Amino acid sequence: MEREANVLIIGGGVSGTGLAYNLAKLGVEGIVLLERNYLGSGASGRCGGGARQQWTTEENVKFMKKSIEILERLPQELKFNILFRQSGYLFLARDEEQLNLLKENVRLHRKLGVETRFLDAEEAREIVPVLNTEGILGATYNPKDGVLFPFALVWGYAKAAKRLGAKIYLHTEARGFKIENGRIKSVFTDKGEIKVKEWVVNAAGAYSKELARKAGVELPNKPYRHEIMVTEPLKLFIKPMVVDLSNGLYMTQTSRGEVIGGIGDPEEESSYNLESGHKFLYLFSRAAIRVIPILKEIRLMRQWAGLYDTTPDKNPILGPVDEVENFLQINGYSGHGLMMAPYATQLLAELIAYGKPSESIERFSIRRFREGEIKAEKAVIG
Amino acid sequence: MPRIREHPILDFKWSERKKIKFTFDSEEIIGYDGDTIASALYASGKRVIRRSFKYHRPRGLFCGIGQCSSCLVKVNGIPNQKACVTPIEEGMVVESQGSIPSAERDLLSLLDALELKHGIQYEKFLGPKFLRPLYFKLFNFVLGSGNVKEEVPKVKFSEGYYPEKEVDVLVIGGGPAGICAAKASAECGARTLLVEERDRIGGELLKQTHKFFGSRRYYSGMRGFRIADVLSKELEKSGAEVMVNTLAIGYLDGKIGVCRDEREFSLVKPKCIVVSTGATERTLMFENNDLPGVMGAGGVQTLMHLYGVKPGEEALIVGSGNVGLILAYQLLQAGVEVKAVIEILPKIGGYFVHAAKIRRMGVEILTSHTIKRAVGRKEVEGAEIVKVDENLREIEGSERFIECDLICLAVGMSPNIEILRQMGCEVVYIPELGGFVAKHDENMETSRAGVFVAGDSSGIEEATTAMIEGEIAGISAALKSGKGRKEHEERREKLKMLLEEMRDNPFGERVVIGKKKMWGA
Repeated sequence: MEREANVLIIGGGVSGTGLAYNLAKLGVEGIVLLERNYLGSGASGRCGGGARQQWTTEENVKFMKKSIEILERLPQELKFNILFRQSGYLFLARDEEQLNLLKENVRLHRKLGVETRFLDAEEAREIVPVLNTEGILGATYNPKDGVLFPFALVWGYAKAAKRLGAKIYLHTEARGFKIENGRIKSVFTDKGEIKVKEWVVNAAGAYSKELARKAGVELPNKPYRHEIMVTEPLKLFIKPMVVDLSNGLYMTQTSRGEVIGGIGDPEEESSYNLESGHKFLYLFSRAAIRVIPILKEIRLMRQWAGLYDTTPDKNPILGPVDEVENFLQINGYSGHGLMMAPYATQLLAELIAYGKPSESIERFSIRRFREGEIKAEKAVIG
Repeated sequence: MPRIREHPILDFKWSERKKIKFTFDSEEIIGYDGDTIASALYASGKRVIRRSFKYHRPRGLFCGIGQCSSCLVKVNGIPNQKACVTPIEEGMVVESQGSIPSAERDLLSLLDALELKHGIQYEKFLGPKFLRPLYFKLFNFVLGSGNVKEEVPKVKFSEGYYPEKEVDVLVIGGGPAGICAAKASAECGARTLLVEERDRIGGELLKQTHKFFGSRRYYSGMRGFRIADVLSKELEKSGAEVMVNTLAIGYLDGKIGVCRDEREFSLVKPKCIVVSTGATERTLMFENNDLPGVMGAGGVQTLMHLYGVKPGEEALIVGSGNVGLILAYQLLQAGVEVKAVIEILPKIGGYFVHAAKIRRMGVEILTSHTIKRAVGRKEVEGAEIVKVDENLREIEGSERFIECDLICLAVGMSPNIEILRQMGCEVVYIPELGGFVAKHDENMETSRAGVFVAGDSSGIEEATTAMIEGEIAGISAALKSGKGRKEHEERREKLKMLLEEMRDNPFGERVVIGKKKMWGA
């Protein structure tokens, strides 16, 4: 194993492997990536695989437009097929409030050159013929959104990174840091110490908080269990990712044919629990069958959980911290890591390689929460 | 393939049974009342039931008990039904999935002839971008298992949350171990529920036609399927509740989710759980090991003894453990010629009496031999076997062709421990016990308090010890749930001694070593 690294990345999910690849592509040498389990064993490999441009804020729409463009060219660039099927995202509205949100989105997206369309219920059924339109007031659809195979993205990044010289060590856990004068000098792993010359990157997903704490850095992130399931494989009958705004249901089919989908539970409390629950089954099956009734005749095959690494404003944390000079964060995606990472890892790689990314990542800085906290405190005192 | 009309032990009473007509890929098939789709198809000479997911290789019956995916079909428009466990009904429309035009003659099997590399989907079809939608259409055309109906059914949801049942002891799996566990637990006064995936309890006993050895208390001298009858009656008397056609789907936030008839979902909240989920037959790596006609020994027994189907004309058996040897005898009883029993090790694995019996009947047992490939286009037409040296390496030039239409794999089983793993029980790898097992103590309790194991799911053994283990686990679970008295504790101690006695022979030694290893692990 390498005993010295220029850039040491902790976490073998989409952020870690994507960053390793982007760094290697920019000619950075001495990249070492540590993964305590296997590639994609955290949230990257547990997610639904969706990637969309349909967001509600201008910054995020622009960000995701870039990310989708990258995903479109990645198969050829990585020489690895990530099975990115651009068959759109279909958002469904069931009340006026949701409807207005969708209409506003369409305006925003159009302004930014993202071709989201507004549809009535019947038009939505043309896209998903098995859709139950009862109670649906309207929908939006963007054909460039899509789903990919999450493991393939992680594997593709890792393979390409290795080809370009990055070293990836699986089943190797970062357990602590040697910090001198506000700089990480080395990282202790269960397989020995690795000296760090330049940067240490925290790409540990929901476990980033614990890892950062070992370096004396407090992140505002909180882990939340989110459950998901797949059915038996079937020929494609749900092409887009279908999202029900009334309850947060999302589902589509993988390229292998399994219906894959999940639903949030607003009552779920923060924890590292990864066990499966019956409440998810209840919430999901009812919500899913309401949208696509034929699902009632299809077997659920597997159910599992992953962790959302959630920040207070649901946006990721990218970039340096104040306490430790050479400790970069790329975490806190709050459930959108797979779709944001292609662009986020490119920007962070540029920061490392050139000292400045091609587009400012200041809005993702951890400082935003600290300033926020000061404001909050004032409010309490006031 | 004809039905078994004459059998020294079993009488299928064909003349009294109702004939049932259904269609498979538009062709009319006639089966009997009591048949599953797969048994009726097999009896009509239809061995190719589906095509494989990607390369459209022919696939047929393998396990016969719903544990593998080798025989999925579309039934009355509903995709992915297991042909081996779905009973036939008059007028049923059964279709193969994803093949053009039929499972028997699938044009897409050309893909198999191309001998594409594994994982090709990650290396090819990368670009250009404008062709990608076409690639996905192609994937969808080739892949997958059937279509859903496009009509939108009306759905009415039941009121309220899932129904929940509280019990002292839940037993998962109604084979010999599970029945004995439920019976013992109920006799201790514990409120006991047994859930069984299939439509009747008895498990592997149901297809055992041979007389058991072992302890008189555990029905020695009785045939397996009779023991299943007796046990079922005793269980009924004990007061334990039994739910058949009920699958325990998983451990969900402290409760077990169970699904009845694939429709009604409910939760069971037990104080203690006994897992007696049995084992899954292993397959072996060799060329064409998926060819219809290559079957697990248990699958062959199921076909013969539950459905009265003659599984072939000429058989080759791979593996000379007791399962392989007994199967040879049973095949002969069903009128199948057994070409040979082959064994990779230099000595026969099973009891001498079984080996001597089939040898007397003219069956050759070839030790230091293994199977190299199955031969045949759509179904088994023969097998190439080969000699191995002391390091179990194939000896070049020693290949031999055996003509046969059935290859039975009797190469061991692996404990079914999925739900134990999900419950967080510590799992260890013990080859002597059949692979991965949940670590358990003498009272059959796993590392998770209140969760017990018994039978093959605790380590591969045989039916008598499974029954004893089941009783021990049942009593232990009842005691742990606060039921039972001193006398039950004493009975458990006696049972432990009996178990030790039963294992005090050259064949039990392996298990004893395995259990010791497990305790030390």
